[in-house]
Amino acid sequence: MNFLSLVSIEFKKIRRSKILLIFFVSSVILWLPSVLNAHLNFEMQAEGISPEHNFMIQGFMGMAWFMFPASMVVGTVLLSQTEITNRGIQKMLTLPISTAKLCMAKFVVLTTLAAVQILIMTGMYYISAAICQRMLDYPFLLSPLFIAKEIGMLFLSSIPMLAVFWMLSALIQTPIFSVGIGLASIVPSVFINNTKLWYCYPISYPFFVITSEYGKLAEHIDTAQVSLFPWIPVALFLTVAAVGISCRYFGHAERK
Amino acid sequence: MTFLLECKKAKRIGFYPALIGSSILAAAIPILNIIIRGEIDVTASKSPLQGLLGANWQLMTMLNILFIAASASLLYHTEYADNAMQKLYTLPIHEGSVFYGKTLFISVMSLLTLTVEFSALAFCSYYWYTPENSFILELCQNFGYSLLLLLPCVVLALLISEFCQSMWMSLGICVVCVFIATMLPTDQFLLSLFPFALPFQMLDTAQTVPYLCAACTELLILIVTEKIAVKIRRSIS
Repeated sequence: MNFLSLVSIEFKKIRRSKILLIFFVSSVILWLPSVLNAHLNFEMQAEGISPEHNFMIQGFMGMAWFMFPASMVVGTVLLSQTEITNRGIQKMLTLPISTAKLCMAKFVVLTTLAAVQILIMTGMYYISAAICQRMLDYPFLLSPLFIAKEIGMLFLSSIPMLAVFWMLSALIQTPIFSVGIGLASIVPSVFINNTKLWYCYPISYPFFVITSEYGKLAEHIDTAQVSLFPWIPVALFLTVAAVGISCRYFGHAERK
Repeated sequence: MTFLLECKKAKRIGFYPALIGSSILAAAIPILNIIIRGEIDVTASKSPLQGLLGANWQLMTMLNILFIAASASLLYHTEYADNAMQKLYTLPIHEGSVFYGKTLFISVMSLLTLTVEFSALAFCSYYWYTPENSFILELCQNFGYSLLLLLPCVVLALLISEFCQSMWMSLGICVVCVFIATMLPTDQFLLSLFPFALPFQMLDTAQTVPYLCAACTELLILIVTEKIAVKIRRSIS
């Protein structure tokens, strides 16, 4: 079986999971207060940031801090639990497919879920920005090229985080630990972003990238900037290691 | 009886090590915070404890409610995963007693977590500051207040988990609720009454009595909702 058909099978498995509903609801909740408090964006001009940029970046920061990582933890639960209940995974493991391939297919689905959530959020951003534009008669809409760059960076920086979450769920059989460690690891990311060793902590990458963008957009606010070295080598190493470990140990408990 | 059964079930899903882990993590926050930042300036607040709570309580509560959300969805997930729930329905026990058993169980566990956390706060107060004589009383008051405000969150998390059979749905909804709670402003009374936002409140506000009343009312409303919802579900299925 080739890899693509494996991935498409994995998508079929989660077709009726209603996970998109959760993504959608969280995006609505994310942008609703921003629309209601849209006039506050004008007060941030003192920091040297234009209202439309402030509107966009505050929303993105709100999502990258908690909701995005947390819903990815939920995504790992979805991918592992749909098969553990009713012992579907044992049937999958009896098929002549390499477990590493199976694991990679699931990881591809997880990254796609991340991309879908980012896209839903971006869609909601355009809707809410359009509403604000109507309400306050000020051009809140930003160019799609700029937004594409931002969400592209957000997505790329989230891949190491996804790899770590996926490794947790493949390694740890007791769901309370994989979920608990995943959720608990989000909480200290604000602290860790303020330290010099932030690049050792993949879970904080998306939030760090968005915060550094905030610093770029606002003239009077200094935030730590992304320095590609040693971040990229460390991130690459961590991603490869996490994916490698999860492929090695995927289905380990079931095969015993 | 259901409470003891819950204790046994929880043991098998590895609940207790996770509980100890999350309590220690939350208790480490104030201690690490002081060690990393140097001493926290508490002169502006009424007492060392209030200063410490102000600096750390947000993160500690965040961990507490995330743990409650995860454990509530897991406790129900173990029942639904292999159709244990259907077997429970055939037993000569009241249908609601499973829910009450779980509520009592998580409440007792939250009490243990809060005990560990407040011990850490007490340790910080005695080690780095000089608390007044009334410190123990103040600590107990804060402890009771936080515990009571945590209970509506426990009941709501369990209520969500009871009605979502798949674990990612219950966990997802709980995570969205936590997200809403982090977005709501804590200084607006009506908005902060959302059960997941209540635990973020601290005792130093002048609105202690309204919050206590609100927490009790919410508990009552949630329990009544659960009763009605169970009746509706039974009549439909």
